[in-house]
Amino acid sequence: MTASAGIRSRRALSRLSLYLALCLGAVFCLLPFAWQLRSSIMTMSEIFSYPPKLLPSDPQWKNYPEVFQIIPFGRYYLNTAILVAWNAAGVLLSNISIAFALTRVRFRGRNLLFALSVGTLMIPSTVTMIPTFIEWSWIGGLNSFLPLIVPSFFGNAFFIFMLVQFFRTIPFDYDEAALIDGASYPRIMIRVIVPMARPIIAVMVIFTFLNTWNDFMGPLLYLNDSKLFTLALGLKSLLSSYNSYWHILMAAATLVILPLVIVFFIGQKSFIAGLAMGGIKG
Amino acid sequence: MRIKKETLWGWILVSPLALGLTLWVAFPLGVAVSMSLFKWNMISEPTFIGLQNYWFMIAGDHLFWQSLKVTLIFTLTSVPLQMLLAFVAALLLNAKVRCMGVFRTIYYLPALIPAMVSTALWMFLYNPQYGLLNLLLDKLGLPTQQWLIDSDMVIPSLVLMSLWSMGNVVVIFLAGLQGIPKELEEACLIDGGNYWHRMRAVILPQMSPVIFYNLVIGVIGGLQTFTQPYVMTKGGPSNASLTLMLHLYRQAFTFNKMGYANALALVLLVMTIAVSLLVFRSSKSWVYYEGGRK
Amino acid sequence: MIRAKLALVAALLATGLSMGLSAENVKLTFMFWGSPAEDQAIRKALKDFETANPGITVEPLYAVYSGTEYDAKMKAMSESDTLPDAGYFGGRFYEYASNDFFMDLTPYVRRDGMEKDYLPQTWIKYKGKIMGAYTAAEAEVMYYNKDTLAKAGVPLPPTDYKKAWSWSDAVKYWTKLTVDTKGKHPGEAGFDPKHIACFGIFHETWTGMLWPRLWGNGGDVFSADGKDVLIDKPETYQAIQQLADLRNKYMVMSSPGLTEYNSTGKTDPKVLLQNGQIAFYVSGAWELLDFAKMDFPLGVGALPIAKKPAQLYISGVNVVFKKTKHPDEAWKLQKWMMMPEKCQELYSGGLWMPTKKSWYENKADLSKWLDNPAHPKGFKEAVVDSMLISRNEPLNIRNSDQIWLEYINPELDKVWQGKDTAENAMKRAAAAIRKSGLLEGLWE
Repeated sequence: MTASAGIRSRRALSRLSLYLALCLGAVFCLLPFAWQLRSSIMTMSEIFSYPPKLLPSDPQWKNYPEVFQIIPFGRYYLNTAILVAWNAAGVLLSNISIAFALTRVRFRGRNLLFALSVGTLMIPSTVTMIPTFIEWSWIGGLNSFLPLIVPSFFGNAFFIFMLVQFFRTIPFDYDEAALIDGASYPRIMIRVIVPMARPIIAVMVIFTFLNTWNDFMGPLLYLNDSKLFTLALGLKSLLSSYNSYWHILMAAATLVILPLVIVFFIGQKSFIAGLAMGGIKG
Repeated sequence: MRIKKETLWGWILVSPLALGLTLWVAFPLGVAVSMSLFKWNMISEPTFIGLQNYWFMIAGDHLFWQSLKVTLIFTLTSVPLQMLLAFVAALLLNAKVRCMGVFRTIYYLPALIPAMVSTALWMFLYNPQYGLLNLLLDKLGLPTQQWLIDSDMVIPSLVLMSLWSMGNVVVIFLAGLQGIPKELEEACLIDGGNYWHRMRAVILPQMSPVIFYNLVIGVIGGLQTFTQPYVMTKGGPSNASLTLMLHLYRQAFTFNKMGYANALALVLLVMTIAVSLLVFRSSKSWVYYEGGRK
Repeated sequence: MIRAKLALVAALLATGLSMGLSAENVKLTFMFWGSPAEDQAIRKALKDFETANPGITVEPLYAVYSGTEYDAKMKAMSESDTLPDAGYFGGRFYEYASNDFFMDLTPYVRRDGMEKDYLPQTWIKYKGKIMGAYTAAEAEVMYYNKDTLAKAGVPLPPTDYKKAWSWSDAVKYWTKLTVDTKGKHPGEAGFDPKHIACFGIFHETWTGMLWPRLWGNGGDVFSADGKDVLIDKPETYQAIQQLADLRNKYMVMSSPGLTEYNSTGKTDPKVLLQNGQIAFYVSGAWELLDFAKMDFPLGVGALPIAKKPAQLYISGVNVVFKKTKHPDEAWKLQKWMMMPEKCQELYSGGLWMPTKKSWYENKADLSKWLDNPAHPKGFKEAVVDSMLISRNEPLNIRNSDQIWLEYINPELDKVWQGKDTAENAMKRAAAAIRKSGLLEGLWE
């Protein structure tokens, strides 16, 4: 066997094992989801039949429109979308400039602020839950979207940490070059750093979308009026303590996840797109 | 005193953080610390009891030590496993293979499912009588397990479920991998290095800030595990899955012992800070920042 | 001239406005939980209340959560003074009552002469004052699938609650109904406990569902003065052992799951009953609401008797909050929601059982909620009549929830898993409870 054929067959083998490993993991990831999908078009009694059936004998596609009849799902969709839009805006506006300042602008108290910010990650949510609720009640923010939107404009410790770690991997040559050219700090941030950090910023937006979409505790505490309810609360209402509508819940869950899947599928491509335009990565 | 332009800009750009820290952190924390010295059921006046809450925690609350044990075991098993598997998965997903977008979405799918739904799905999988997992084990001729109903199996079951939903960790590793300058990898190849050499000389050092981030976040998250035990096992069986957060939550909202719950929360906070500081300190020796530290 | 006309118009407007303002326009909020079906039924009842009481509007606050989350929400609302006027209450009733959380309903109840119209257990009294009323009167019920019994050749259980099967007879029947994939019964050679096609029974094992088993055996959990536990008495732990034996000794019951009520993800026993995967199901009367939507021959039998018949009275509580700004109107709402005729679908649908006496004694009223497909024949003799001997879940024992959750349940888990006997477990729990200092007596 010639050397090149040997290399080729070795590459083919490694390619095959790569596919195999990927598929194995994919099956593990998909298993519960597959059960959810097949349950969403079954009747209640079919869902729990044993041994479990892979496919329904009579697909109950009507479960999907039935979701909208049992709970005001359309409105919940709208409310959740509104929250996501606002939170994405807040996250983009605040975290990038904060992380930029913490890594590329020298000022006293910088390290302390960063340490404090990371420190807040360690505070159990139960501690801040009630006092924050009381704060909002003082300014009449209860039963509105305000408590669920405003905090994202003040920085999010997760994202700050994440952005700081990534910004630190960018050499300072770029900043210095721009400074010599007379650029101001905001200009450096927007023109130099942001384009390089596109992948991680995309991750940040995707996370914000996901967290807002699935957030349960926030809406639970702050929303009284069911006209304001979000999808997470809608799902919970189908899982009440003694009457669970399993088939409807599975259909509703699929409807809830669908936008997330689409957003993520599109978003992960922008990693690659961002890289192509990135510049420093070759 | 003339303020440097740099300092001014720094503070302007960072102001939302400073404000946010005051509003959402300093105030609630202050309330929590003071509350931990009181006995308060939230519907009547608080009574000052000094350090009694802390004394009870150490000497009188048998479930405190149990919950501490459960939390530590869970964190020390799930976090390293998660990091390892997620790193491997990210390496796989970084390859130049067709339909990678589909694979990436599949691997991230579990993280997209709302907690309420994923817990319901896994409870079905884990059902000893009618669940999918035992059905599979049975078909393969392996002994079936009691999963969530067996006090010895409940933590491994929860760890397995946490591994399934590690999409967040994978995605961050992936973004990090894609941020590694290609020149470095190419240089290594030209030098005749094999995969392991590339790993040690290029990939791991370049990824170290990202590994550090995921490690800290993972540990913090692990110590605060709440939703899965709360929904799936309610801390059982026999308190085998009673994490500290769950214990805390019950004290606050079921038993109306807000003061004691705050004391527990502060202890959890101190513990988390201690562990994170350890990781931070160690990071100086193994984390490499390309940009250097300004 | 114009100015005079304007003045006249202004005066008319002012009078009209003030008339409108002086006419009562009271806005109440009513908070509740439940399934989407309950949500719709309650909203309708509230709307009907508005129609019958012009000048009062009610804003429904539908909570998609119950239990601890509902309680957390209540606390948060109390802290910020945004409590509803009336609604469901699910937490430590007596602790809140002793902290002046609820409005005293006694003067209203006396004024309207309502007290004797309702089952005596309905009124919850604190220091002699009526602080709340149970939303409904729920009980424990034994359901079964007629087809499954017919196939196994097992007779239908009696419906008279006084003449029910004895526990040992019931176990025999459940054994006959339990069959593995090869058709063998427990006790027969070759029986494969790992591949059971049909279980004889599934008995819910959360706290509420245990009471009739304990009381029926002469046992109990707390002493009358709340200062001691009775779980280490033979009558109590034997009843628990009976239940555990169903799974571990007789193998007629599948894994009971955990002791705390948790339906999330649990394979729905109602569906298993319909599919013939379990033959009997012991749970609450509220299950009828879902059973009504399922198409199979459902039967109701009297609960098996250990030593004597026992029945449970369990429900959520309706209260008026003390901080309400409109006590009279809030009382009107409370009274309305207690009238079975106002939310009739909830009663005829099977979710609730009424608290009004006449709906148990008066034939016409009885048929209003019993004569429908949702309520199988035999429900009256087995369940409704047994309400005569029903006992409330004890609410007024200090720290009872903590004692259950932190001391009793963990030990019960071991018993259900077969890791220890009920006697040892309960004796250990009792010793720990007595040492814990939680037995502080009653809320008084």
